[in-house]
Amino acid sequence: MATEISNPNLTLSKDVVKVWTINELIGNAIGFLVLGTLFYLDHRFLWWEWVGWLLLVVTVVSIITAIWDIFFHPKLKYKHWRYEIDEEYLKLRHGAINEQHQLVPMSKIQSVATKQGPILRRYQLYAISIETMGSSHLIPALVKEEAFQLRDTIARYAKVKEEGE
Amino acid sequence: MGYSRYSLWIIGFDSWKLGKSAIFFLVYFFLIKRGSESFFFVYGRPALLLLLGISVIRIVLKWFTNTYSLDNEAFHLKRGIFTKSKRTVPFNKIENTNEHTSFFHRLTGTTSIVFETGMKGDEAAVEFDIVSRTQANELKERVATNKDTEEADETVEVTEHKEQERQVHFRAKKKDLLKASFTSLSFLFLIPLLASFYFKLDDIFGVEEDAEGLVAFLLQSGWIMVTIIFLVILVSIGFGISRTFLKYGGFEIASDSDRIYIQKGVLDATKFSISKHRVQAIEIHQTMLKRILGLAEVKLMSVGEARSDEEKLESNSLYPFLPVHQAYEMIEAILPSYHVTKEMDRLPRASLFIRLMKPSFIWIIGTGVLWYFKPDVFAIPWWTLSVIILLIVSVIRYLDYKHTKYTLNASFVQFKTGGLSTSLFVTKRSKVIEISIKRGFVQKWFGVASVGIVNRSKPVHHSGIEDVPRELAGSFYQWYQGRGKEVERIGR
Repeated sequence: MATEISNPNLTLSKDVVKVWTINELIGNAIGFLVLGTLFYLDHRFLWWEWVGWLLLVVTVVSIITAIWDIFFHPKLKYKHWRYEIDEEYLKLRHGAINEQHQLVPMSKIQSVATKQGPILRRYQLYAISIETMGSSHLIPALVKEEAFQLRDTIARYAKVKEEGE
Repeated sequence: MGYSRYSLWIIGFDSWKLGKSAIFFLVYFFLIKRGSESFFFVYGRPALLLLLGISVIRIVLKWFTNTYSLDNEAFHLKRGIFTKSKRTVPFNKIENTNEHTSFFHRLTGTTSIVFETGMKGDEAAVEFDIVSRTQANELKERVATNKDTEEADETVEVTEHKEQERQVHFRAKKKDLLKASFTSLSFLFLIPLLASFYFKLDDIFGVEEDAEGLVAFLLQSGWIMVTIIFLVILVSIGFGISRTFLKYGGFEIASDSDRIYIQKGVLDATKFSISKHRVQAIEIHQTMLKRILGLAEVKLMSVGEARSDEEKLESNSLYPFLPVHQAYEMIEAILPSYHVTKEMDRLPRASLFIRLMKPSFIWIIGTGVLWYFKPDVFAIPWWTLSVIILLIVSVIRYLDYKHTKYTLNASFVQFKTGGLSTSLFVTKRSKVIEISIKRGFVQKWFGVASVGIVNRSKPVHHSGIEDVPRELAGSFYQWYQGRGKEVERIGR
């Protein structure tokens, strides 16, 4: 059907699943450390009774979300992440449950950069951040050559300016 | 290129401003606490004088060091006493001009003028705090003509337009102003004014005890009370009307082929002008009261930054109390390239359902608070209040569903949103800088989606419409992809 939104066709690097999983592992580990400390403090200083119950509820919820975040979400996220560029537009599409499409004209892009944190470096991946007048977008992980090429292409396309600006 | 100083009046103007802010301290330190031997006042008095002296010297030095010049393309501004700065602002970056004539300006036969650009920060605008009227017109002329020739090579046409007369679209008459003063509830402004005056008086002289005695005396006699209440009502209505007359008196909206001019005010006059193709979007705003009375406020969204929010609100708003039908006509007359359609599509039934089903945080938190405190209001059980809150929330959501409408045509998008007060938003495809489409879990279930639009403004303006049919979201996406046909792109 003509009114269907066409999906962009390029995917992220497959390794991004591992990167996200590691990220979630670290994040959740910190979360549980904080929870553990709270449990200890509760036990040690005998806080009100309801605090103990509240902590228990939080722990159960955290365990469930942690399982989801670590084992399921990264794969699902990878499966639904798509991007595409042409001379006029940058198209992004992401989100499995909450699906989101973005369409950004090249002429409105103000800067583009590649970024790399320690986890991305381990897998030789780069993230690309794209800034426009009003927002910033991130393509989370691409293989080195692909990333650099994409950055340069966007930079070239973004050189155009519209009349009246 | 020679740099020239600003008008000498600026010393007077700045001293006047300084005096206005200093008068309170002077009165407090030297009159009211005249006899005080406290440490704070003994050292405070000379310190105050010293500070005043330094400020005056600074004003004079500022006049000596701040200079400007303009060539055919740009303003060049120099400023700073110790740290010097030099700044160049090209004319083609200027989004709109704002001329403000305060009472002081009126006395000295001058005016102030601000050229606003799309940049951020303190130095975004070129400001002339005081210039003579003729010079202000010269500056405006200079900026306007250069901008036009820069933008397109239709120089011939531009010169033709120059001779064309300005067309006045709206001039506030007495009837309009009276209507405005009641709609804006401006007569209520007297109350906070009186209250703040009373508290200030109380702070300085401690009149509270006297006031209590007076009130007790007045309460004894019913007749005096009635008379006073009557008088107060009369005075506040008079106050409200005169306030509106001062603010909107002489309100006029005019345009020529490429600019829009808005002016208003009697004592404090403001003239605002913007180039037509710099209007990013139009918003027609109606509060509930205005909707009942058939009035509307039309706003032109532009990129130029006014220095305060309040100023921005006022400067880019066409007359806030326009009759609705006139508002629509005027938009087409002023901005022929914009087209406001009256027939718009409604949302599908499913979006009403989604709206009503969405968890309401106001209701959840409200109920939580009610459950905890169990307040005793008129002996109504607490859960009835909770039900009432839920009803109000639902009614507002229903109204929002009822009011939400949209159309998408060749190169425009137009939509209306809002529960109690509504706003109609119209923008061109070429002025939209980014779009997004979201489909949540529930929305997919019902085959609807939310669309979002970003426009240039300062900061960027986000708008959007929730729960439109999925097909519309798809055509919206494609509509925006066709944008390239309309914008002329220049390689750099």
